[in-house]
Amino acid sequence: MMKKKKYRSIEQLKSRYGYGFTAIWVIGFILFFGFPVIQSVFYSFADVSISATEGVVVSFVGLKNFNYLFNEHPDYTSWLTADMSSILYSLPIILLVSLVLAILLNQKFKGRIIFRAVYFVPVIIASGAVLKLMFQTTSEELTSAGVSTAITGSMFSIEDIVGWLNIPDKIAQILKNIINNIFDLLWSCGIQTVLFIAGLQSIPATLYEASKVEGATKWEEFWFITFPSLGSVTLLVSVYTMVDAFTNTRNTVIDKAYTMINSGNYDETSAMLWVYFVGVGLVMGFVLFLYNRFLLKRWQ
Amino acid sequence: MNLIADIKNFVNDPAKEILRRKKMLNKGTQLAWSILRILILLAIGYIIIYPLFYMIGTSIRSRQSYYDSARVWIPSSVSAGHNYTKALDFTSFFAGFKNTMVLEIIAGLIEVITCSIVAYGFARFKFKLKPLFTAGLFLTILVPEIMVIIPRMLTYSKMDILGIFGLLADLTNGAVDLRPNLIGSPLAFYLPSLFAMGLRSGILIYIYIQFFKGLPYELEEAAWVDGAGPVRTFVSIALPSSSVVFTTVTVFSIIWHWNDTFLAAMYVKSDYPLSVYLSRINATMVGAGYYPNNTDTQSILMAACFLFILPPLIFYMFMQRKFIESIDRVGITG
Repeated sequence: MMKKKKYRSIEQLKSRYGYGFTAIWVIGFILFFGFPVIQSVFYSFADVSISATEGVVVSFVGLKNFNYLFNEHPDYTSWLTADMSSILYSLPIILLVSLVLAILLNQKFKGRIIFRAVYFVPVIIASGAVLKLMFQTTSEELTSAGVSTAITGSMFSIEDIVGWLNIPDKIAQILKNIINNIFDLLWSCGIQTVLFIAGLQSIPATLYEASKVEGATKWEEFWFITFPSLGSVTLLVSVYTMVDAFTNTRNTVIDKAYTMINSGNYDETSAMLWVYFVGVGLVMGFVLFLYNRFLLKRWQ
Repeated sequence: MNLIADIKNFVNDPAKEILRRKKMLNKGTQLAWSILRILILLAIGYIIIYPLFYMIGTSIRSRQSYYDSARVWIPSSVSAGHNYTKALDFTSFFAGFKNTMVLEIIAGLIEVITCSIVAYGFARFKFKLKPLFTAGLFLTILVPEIMVIIPRMLTYSKMDILGIFGLLADLTNGAVDLRPNLIGSPLAFYLPSLFAMGLRSGILIYIYIQFFKGLPYELEEAAWVDGAGPVRTFVSIALPSSSVVFTTVTVFSIIWHWNDTFLAAMYVKSDYPLSVYLSRINATMVGAGYYPNNTDTQSILMAACFLFILPPLIFYMFMQRKFIESIDRVGITG
C-alpha cells in the first residue's frame, strides 16, 4: 500500500518536472504563436489601420478583403496557381535527388569527406537574398539558355529533344522548367540530404548484416531495409521541403506580401496569406494523403 | 597457359573455382559501381559548385573584360579592388555585419539553449498534456513564420503581456503606459528565442527530441537514484553527452539567422542586418547610378554576394569536420 502510493508520487513528480521544462515553450507558444495566429485570422476579415493616438484600430468588414483578392485583384489567382504548381513538381525531384545523394554520401569510399564538404555548401549559402540575386539578375548566364548549354554543351538543346520525342506541350514545359531551375533545385537539397543521412545512420547495422547472411542483393537491401526504415524521415523531409518552398521569398505571393506589409497594408495581406496558406495546406494534405495511401502501406 | 591453369583448377576443385570466379565478378561490379558513383557525384557536385565559381569569377572581372566571352572562369583582366570596395560600400558591410551579430546571431544562440531545455522536457518526462503539446509543436513547424508576422509586429509596437499593461493604461486613462515599443530593439529578436519560439525553433526542438530519446536512460536513472534533481541531471548528465546534437543545431540556427531577411526587415526599421542590405542592393545601386546594364553592375553584385557568404563559409570550414561527423551520429528516426 505504502509502496504504491510512493510510486505514484514519483510519477507525479516527474510529470511536474515535464511541465517545468516545457513551461517556457508553452508561454512562448501562447504569446508568439497562438495569439498571433488568431489575431491574423481576425485581421483577414477586418480593416486594420494604425493611428498615432489609438494604436491599432481594427474594424470588422466581413469578406471584403477576400472579395477584393479574387474578383478585383488582377494577378492574385495566377500567382497562386503558379506557386502551387511549381512546388508540386519540385517536391518529388528534391526528395529523390536528396535521397540519392544521401545514400551515395553515406557509403564509405575515398574522398568522401571532400564530397560531403562540397555537397553541404548549399546548406550554408542557400539563402533567400543570395539566391534571388544569383538567379534573377543573372537570368542570361545562369538560367534558361545558360544552363541548357552548360549541361548539354552546344551539341543539342532542350527544344530539339522535346521536338524529337514528340512530348506533349504541357509536359515539355515542365521539363524545361526543371532543366532551367536545376541549380535552384539542387541548391534546395542541402538540408534534406543532411536529414536523410542522419536518418540512414539511425538504421541498425544488424539489419544489413542479417540480410547479407540471407544473401540479399543490394537492390533488395535498399528496397526492403533502407526504404522502409526511412519512412518517418521522408515525411519530415517532405514537410520541411514544402514549408521551405512555400515560404521562400522567391514565391510571387510571399514576395508581394512582403512589400505589402512594408507599405502598411495589413488586412489585405493577412487575407492574401491565409488564402495562400489554406491552399498550401490542401496541397500538403494531398501529398500526405498520397504518401499514406501508396507508401505507408508498402512500409507496413 | 592461363586457360589451361584455369581448367586444371576447375578439375581439381570445382567448388573453390566457382567461388573464386564469383568473387572476381563481384569485384568487377563493385569497380563499375564505384566508378559510376564517382561520376554521379562529380556531375552533381559540378552543378552545385558552379554558381559559387561563377560568383567568384564574375566578382573579380574588370569592366573591360565583361563582354569577353572567351573567358569563363578566369577573366582576362581583373579589378577585384574596385568591385569589392563598391560592394562593401553598397551593402554597408561593416555596419550590417555588426547588426547581424548583435540581433540575429545572439538570438540564434539563445534559441539553441532554450530549445534544448524544452526538448529535454518533451523527450524525458511523461505528462498528461504531452500529446497536446506535441501537436502544438508540429503546428509551429507547419505554419510558416509569415502567417504570424503581422500580428507579432503590431504587438511588438506596443508590447504587452496578456493585456496587463494595457489594462493599467486604460485604468489610468493612458497616464501610466508601460508598454514599450520593441520594434527596432534587439529584444524583438531575443524574446521569441527566449521562449523557444524563434526562427524555425520547431525543427530544432524536433532534432533535439530525437537525439535525447536516443540517449541511454540508465545514466540519468542512476543520477536520479543518487538524488540529483532534474536540473542537475539535465546539466551534468544529459548535456555533456550531447555535444553532437549541439553542433548540428548550432550550425543550423546560426546559418538560418544569418540568412534571415524576413524577420529582420519586419522588426527593424533602420540599422538593418547585413542580409537586408543585400536584398535591397539593387535599389541601392540604381540610386547610386549603377543600372543593371552597366558593365560592372553584375560584378559588384556578385562581389556583394560573395562577401555575404564569406563569414558563414569560414564558420562552416571551422565546423565542417565536426558538423559532418555530427550528422552521422544525430540519428533522426520517427
